[in-house]
Amino acid sequence: MDTTAQKVWNQAQQQANSGRRNVTIDPITRLEGHGKIEIFLNDKGNVDRAYLQIPELRGFEVFCQGRPSEDMPQLTSRICGVCPTAHHMAATKALDDLYGVDCHPVGRKIRELVYNAFMLEDHALHVYVLGGPDFIVGPDAPKELRNIVGVIGKVGLDVGKKVISMRRRIREMINYAGGKVIHPVMGLPGGVAKGISASELPKFKEIANEGLEFAKFTLQVFHDIVLKNDAYVKLITSDNFTHKTHYMGLVDKNNKVNFYDGDIRVVDPEGKEQAKFPVQKYLENISEHVEPWSYIKFPFLKKVGWKGFTEGTASGVYAVAPMARLNAADGMATPIAQRAYEEYFKTLGGKPVHHTLANHWARVIEMLQAAERLVELVNDPEIISGEFRNIPINTPRVGMGVVEAPRGTLIHHYETDEKGLIRKVNLIVSTTNNSARIAMSVDKAARGLIKEGKVNDGLLNMVEMAFRAYDPCFGCATHTLPGEMPLVVSLRSLDGGLIRELRR
Amino acid sequence: MSCAAEPARPFQPRPPLADGALQRMAMRKPRPALVLALGNDLLGDDGVAFHAARLLRAEYPGSVEVIETGEAGLPLLDYLEPYGAALILDAAATGKCPPGTILRWDREDFRRCVAPSQHSAGLPQILELAERLGMAFPKELQVVCMEVADPTIFRESLTPEAAQAVPAMVAAAREILAGWGCRG
Repeated sequence: MDTTAQKVWNQAQQQANSGRRNVTIDPITRLEGHGKIEIFLNDKGNVDRAYLQIPELRGFEVFCQGRPSEDMPQLTSRICGVCPTAHHMAATKALDDLYGVDCHPVGRKIRELVYNAFMLEDHALHVYVLGGPDFIVGPDAPKELRNIVGVIGKVGLDVGKKVISMRRRIREMINYAGGKVIHPVMGLPGGVAKGISASELPKFKEIANEGLEFAKFTLQVFHDIVLKNDAYVKLITSDNFTHKTHYMGLVDKNNKVNFYDGDIRVVDPEGKEQAKFPVQKYLENISEHVEPWSYIKFPFLKKVGWKGFTEGTASGVYAVAPMARLNAADGMATPIAQRAYEEYFKTLGGKPVHHTLANHWARVIEMLQAAERLVELVNDPEIISGEFRNIPINTPRVGMGVVEAPRGTLIHHYETDEKGLIRKVNLIVSTTNNSARIAMSVDKAARGLIKEGKVNDGLLNMVEMAFRAYDPCFGCATHTLPGEMPLVVSLRSLDGGLIRELRR
Repeated sequence: MSCAAEPARPFQPRPPLADGALQRMAMRKPRPALVLALGNDLLGDDGVAFHAARLLRAEYPGSVEVIETGEAGLPLLDYLEPYGAALILDAAATGKCPPGTILRWDREDFRRCVAPSQHSAGLPQILELAERLGMAFPKELQVVCMEVADPTIFRESLTPEAAQAVPAMVAAAREILAGWGCRG
């Protein structure tokens, strides 16, 4: 070992040995503090207020200033190791707008193909890996089974293998068309960087068809395991997991769900259209509230106003993500998904659905639409056309782009100088759009489970279920080694003194 | 409720090899090994593993495959599956030891964790999933992390603390790779 290495090594040893050896392995070694919940109890031992605290990544705007705008699809896709494709696509669409160029129709189809493949894969992962513990295994199952392993135990080994292989095949397709899965390079203003060759198409068709079969199978699993169990349905519709808020999602010209493009539509808690606007008008419709206890901002509907963390038509709190998308639209854009959509609203008592846990079911319905759209696109003769980009010729100034990420509406907004160098960046990521409702869910779960200082043992489970349904992407950071959030709940008196700490 | 298992062990150099061990190691057929570096190099020290990985790539041409990725959770299966031995390098922010400390865990440490995933499957779940599904998975799995101070600020460079400790991270990796019969 060379001298420098030896010196550093020895220093590290000294530091490690200086009374600090008890480094515990949380399942998470990174980003301690994620998912930290502070619960303040009043004199009677009841909940005064519960907060979910999230450390936000900082300095992105400064980081981007002066960089060429065409770097943004690559740069923003590196913010998050989980949903790079969503950022890449929102950024690419913002560049279309920035350079004042319409996306080439074939380029659009290729983008849509990649995007729907991504939605299908991401949703499948959530259904089986993340939401599965709550529903497929069961909310009352022992902790050691409430994970993907428990899910496999319930649905069978073959299905487990299918989930893994399906995911891999879809990623191969995204890899081919998108350049790379983790840092996609396909998006350029006006289109895409490369087309799809006719020789690849048979494989794509096979993957798309398998994807559709898999989505149908997943709906069946949901039926058999969740909907045939009265206790689960009761849980989905229970008051603890219900908030009557506004809902937001992208819709096409027929007001059907669209993940890639369209207008942003908002419905009120009665299901009535409150607003419908192109992304360029987002600043007129969305404002952000700041609380002293959280880094994260709480967006609200500007025209309704911020009335605190409250429900109802008079409160500007809104939700995004699958349940919100289904509420905000008049239907699904594809036939099988549409039938599932109708059954969903019929079973849950009509539109809109306010039960947070219904997100899991809505996610399965969206898997169907993504897969059906994928099948449509691979069978579109234009998809292998050699023309797929319009070349931009206008001077860049301001550009905004929006997509429906798996976790909800995602907005990118860039401003540049006349050379296209970034001056200003604003991103509203999906989880931020949901932040007020998530805070309300955590607060409600805590209130229901802590009475007169007594903490119900189910607290962690219930709180966790409340926010897991949103599939939150806190910090939108790359959660690497552990890929999980630790859950730490601190119970405090009103003066801030720590009464008890629960950890998972 | 805690899934905390054994305290992580600060990296310790191994005792000298017994007589004849080196000869036996030299005769052993080298197994394919993977160094999988995880992190986000837009977040300063969160990308420290990539710095170590690049040094190792230059040092072990051919005998070790080095992959850098920003991915998390289940996709890691794709990378790990083909290898008999894998070393994961990452940044850690436990807040329980000074920045620059090198921490080391092995497969058994993760086995003791029981934690439901929030955003993506963590390493414990991946390990168990691979076993349940009968997937090929590295029999040897080691994790070397560097404690970092604040991986939530966008910047491209490392802090001085992290930069200074990169050689120690590489040394820890080298030690493990030598144990697997990999030679630079």
